[in-house]
Parts: sequence; C-alpha cells; structure tokens
Amino acid sequence: MKKDKKMMVLFLGPAVLLFAAVFAYPIIRTILMSFFAVERPSMKLAEWSFNGLENYKTVLDSAFFRISMMNILKIWLIGGIITLSIALLFAVILTSGIRFSKFYKAAIYVPNVISAVAVATMWIFYVYNQRYGLLNTFFKKLGLEELGKTKWLGADLIFWAMLAAFCFCAVGYYMLIFISGIEKIPADLYEAATIDGAGKFKQFRFVTLPLLRGVFKTNITFWSINTVGFFVWTKMFSPITSENGTITPMVLMYETIFGSKRVQTTDAGAGAAIGCILTLSVMVIFVIFSKLIKDNDLEY
Amino acid sequence: MAFTRKKRKEVQPKLSWKKELRMLPGHLLIWIWIGFAMICIAWIVAASLSTSGEIFRGETLKFATGFHFENYVKAWKLQKVSVYFMNSMIYATISSALLIVICAPAAYVLSRFTFLGNKTIKGSLVLAMSVPSIMIIIPILNITTALKVNGTRGLLIFLYVAVSIPYTVTFLLDFFSSLSRTYEEAAAIDGCSPIKTFWKIMFPLAQPGIITVTIFNFLGIWNEYFMSLVFASVDSKRSVGVGLFTIVAAMKQNGDYGALFAAVIIVFLPTFLLYILLSQKIIAGVTGGGIKG
Repeated sequence: MKKDKKMMVLFLGPAVLLFAAVFAYPIIRTILMSFFAVERPSMKLAEWSFNGLENYKTVLDSAFFRISMMNILKIWLIGGIITLSIALLFAVILTSGIRFSKFYKAAIYVPNVISAVAVATMWIFYVYNQRYGLLNTFFKKLGLEELGKTKWLGADLIFWAMLAAFCFCAVGYYMLIFISGIEKIPADLYEAATIDGAGKFKQFRFVTLPLLRGVFKTNITFWSINTVGFFVWTKMFSPITSENGTITPMVLMYETIFGSKRVQTTDAGAGAAIGCILTLSVMVIFVIFSKLIKDNDLEY
Repeated sequence: MAFTRKKRKEVQPKLSWKKELRMLPGHLLIWIWIGFAMICIAWIVAASLSTSGEIFRGETLKFATGFHFENYVKAWKLQKVSVYFMNSMIYATISSALLIVICAPAAYVLSRFTFLGNKTIKGSLVLAMSVPSIMIIIPILNITTALKVNGTRGLLIFLYVAVSIPYTVTFLLDFFSSLSRTYEEAAAIDGCSPIKTFWKIMFPLAQPGIITVTIFNFLGIWNEYFMSLVFASVDSKRSVGVGLFTIVAAMKQNGDYGALFAAVIIVFLPTFLLYILLSQKIIAGVTGGGIKG
C-alpha cells in the first residue's frame, strides 16, 4: 500500500501529542525533580536547586518509607500468592467441563467492574463491622463467641483485613487470563496423557502447569502493575490517619507531595524520589521474571 | 510436534450423575465464593432501605418500619450523589467517545504502515501502562495550576482521554492487524483515498473491538479515583469514587448509615447493570478482544 504522509501525521498526531504531554514530558520531569530540592509541586523549574542524591537519602532514611515498602512487598508477595493460587484453582475447576461455568465465570469477575470505593465500603461497613458485621454474626451463630468479638479493623488485623478484601476482588481478572491460557492447550495433550495413565493431578502437574508458564508471566506482570498503584484501599481502610499498618509507597508519596497529618512539611522532591524508586522496583521485577520464566519453548 | 490445535469443547456434556458428583467439590467451592458476594450485595440493598437504628441492632432484614426509600432521596439530594453521578457520566461518556476518535486512526496507522519510530511508539505505549500514575501528576499539576484550570470538567476529560491512550491504542492495534488488507487494496483500485478508506471501510469493520474498548474505558473512567482526587479540587466537579469517599468520611460523624448504603448502591448500579447486559463481551475483552487464540 502507498504511504500517505499527510494521512499518517493527521491520524497519529493527536494521540502522540497527548501521549507526549501527559506521559513523556511529566515522567522525565519527575525523574529530574527527584535530584533537586523542591518543596512544593507548584514550584517553577528556576526555583529548583540541585541536591544530588539528597532526596533519595531522605526517603531511604525515613521510617515511614521503610514501613510502606514492607507493606507493599507483603501485598505483592503474600497477596500475589493467594490471589494467583485461587485464580488458578478456579480456572482449573471452570475448564474441567463443570456445569454453569459461564455463570460462575461472570459472577466471580463482578467485583472488577465496580468502583473500588463502593466495594471497600461494603467490606468496611458490613463484612468487618464489629457490631452487626457478617463475619462476627457468622461466628456468633456458630457459637464461637471469642471469634465473634474480633476487631477486624483493629491495629493488628487491619492490614490483613484490607489484603483479604483486595485479593477477593482481584481474583476474577487473573482467573479469566488463566482460563484463556488453559483453553489454548490442545485437548490432544490431555488425551495422550490419559492414555499414558496420568490421573487428573498428574495431568495438571505435567501438562497444564508447564504450558501455562507464559500466562503466569503475564499474570505476575499485571499483578505487579496493579499492586504498585495500591492507593484507594489504604485510603478507604484508614481514611484520616492512614495508620502505619496500611500505608503504601503511593499513599506516602501523595502525602509527601501534598502534606498530611503524618507528613507535615511537603517535599515534592522526596515525593518524586519515592515514585522513581517504586517505578525502578517494578522494572527490576519485570526483568527478573522475564529472565526467570522463559516463554513457552514448546511448540504445540 | 505436530499436534493439531483443537479447542476444547464448551458444549455441556450429557447429564451423568457420577460425573456431577465428582464435580461437587468444585461447585461447592465456587458457591462459597459467589454466595459470600451475593449475601454482601443483598445485605447492602436491605441496609439501604433501613434506618440507622435497625442497621445497628442487626435487624436489617426485618424491615420492621417498612422500606425507607427516602434514604435514596437523601443520598441523591443531600449527600450530592446526583452531582457526582452526573460528573462521572459526563467524564465517562465524553472521554470514551473522544478516545475512539483519537485512538482508532492512530492504531490503524501503527498497525498498517512501517515507518521510522513505529516500534518506538508501540513500545512507549506499553511501557507507559506500567508506570504508576503518581509519576506523572506533579508536572501536570504544575502546568494546570499555572493555567488555572484545576477543578474544571474540561481538564478532567482531557486527562482521562490522555491517560487512557496507551491502553486504547494497544488494544485496537491487535484488532486492526487482524483485518485483511484486501479491503484497502480493493478500495484503492476504486480510487478511494486512504483517509476515506479508513473511515468508510476499516473503522466500521473494527466495530467489535471499538465497542469492547469503549466499554472498558467507560468502566475505568467511571470507577476512576486518583485523577479525580488530585485535579477535581472542588466538590461540584468530583466523580463518584471521590464523592463516595467524601460521604463515607462524613458519615463517621453524622451517622446516617441508611443513606450511606443507598449511595453505595447508586454508585454500584450503572456499572453492574452494564456488566449484566454485556458480561460475555467484557469477559472476552479481558483476554484480548476474543480475536487472538
């Protein structure tokens, strides 16, 4: 086909310009900012003063930052293992020729289309409520009085309560990706395995799992992107004080830039440094996992 | 390895009790999961029709004093859910429409022509999707403060459009690559200009993909929280996410739980109904528009 220069510029121009304005330029400026002393986000370039790695030092020395990094690591690792395991389990069940699989699939995915604020409100004001909440009522009905008095949103449990709610809502998405991966595995392979005398578990272990490597990589990538932006759930579970128990780097960065009860003096430079550390961590995770998990070298 | 690619059948097998029995643990497990979600939604609906006192005494399902539909009126008017609702509706519809006009042509050119920078653009789009949004807001805030446009609907729409470009273009790229080139060749022989060919022939052909990506954009923008929190500085321009958050924060003081749950239902309903209508399309869209594989 003949290239039409005018058309290409016309068609590509708006998208590229918007992209440059909202992604390319801001990202570069934020990276630059992390090496300068900048107190307020509204300060002009001329008002910045270079201070090398000082922002990074401030950030790494801050106890809040270490707590928030620990929290995000727990969310990523523990939450990831839980979410992806349940998602895989459901995916295997739903592709095993079970009845109503279409309905089940659709029902499990529901939380993904609903505003996180609405879903979190449901968890906080119903499921975890101490007086009339679902969990405590349930345990009391079972006669487990002690368990029925649990303060799910108390300081020692709030992080896990938040993580459980977050994982519950995330499962559907990863399940769908696993399902599409499993459906792509040719049925012949399972037939061959059955003839060779492999039971369901052996088939899962030696056929399904190895062939899902690529899908695992996709899911881990998406999970990492998803958890880095962990923000709304913390805001919902601890709206005013943001107890240290639930704080994540994204929340800390927001507070560092705009100020909060915890962070009284705003420091946009340090905020930018948190963002850069966070982005760098994601990139490192991507590289590690793409080295660790090779794409399927098997052809089928 | 010369295995033929055969998709596993989705046709339901004949009812056999032995097989059904073997599946029972699977059914059970899934029902615990779904049942839990259903109980929660049912309870929220019941609570949205009860008084705060009833909710606190755990008598939500008794409706001893009847159905309190006034909770919805309170939420809609007093708690300003109507304002947030309208804002989100405006943001989501206008932005997702604009996104198609901007992204479909771009995706088409990227998928059809090889030119210097094509790969760079595609790569940057994918990379941009993995950068936390907080990396971009300080410089943008800097500009918008200087231009004094913070807290305007136009700005929010502009930002939603711009931020969704990487996802939308990448999604549509796959779609256009899958369309045969013979259409354009035939059109060129008939003397149709490339621009006209796109709008008259290729754009309608890509409709399934365009509809799917629009649904996702709509859902995404409707549920968006962060941009609205930072850039919609005044209450009257907030979207449902931030609006509901404001209501929840205020509720801890004024304690009108019935209206709170009514607000939750109002925020929840549009996307939920959309999902019920289009669940098959949405589910297919999650794994790449149902085109690949």
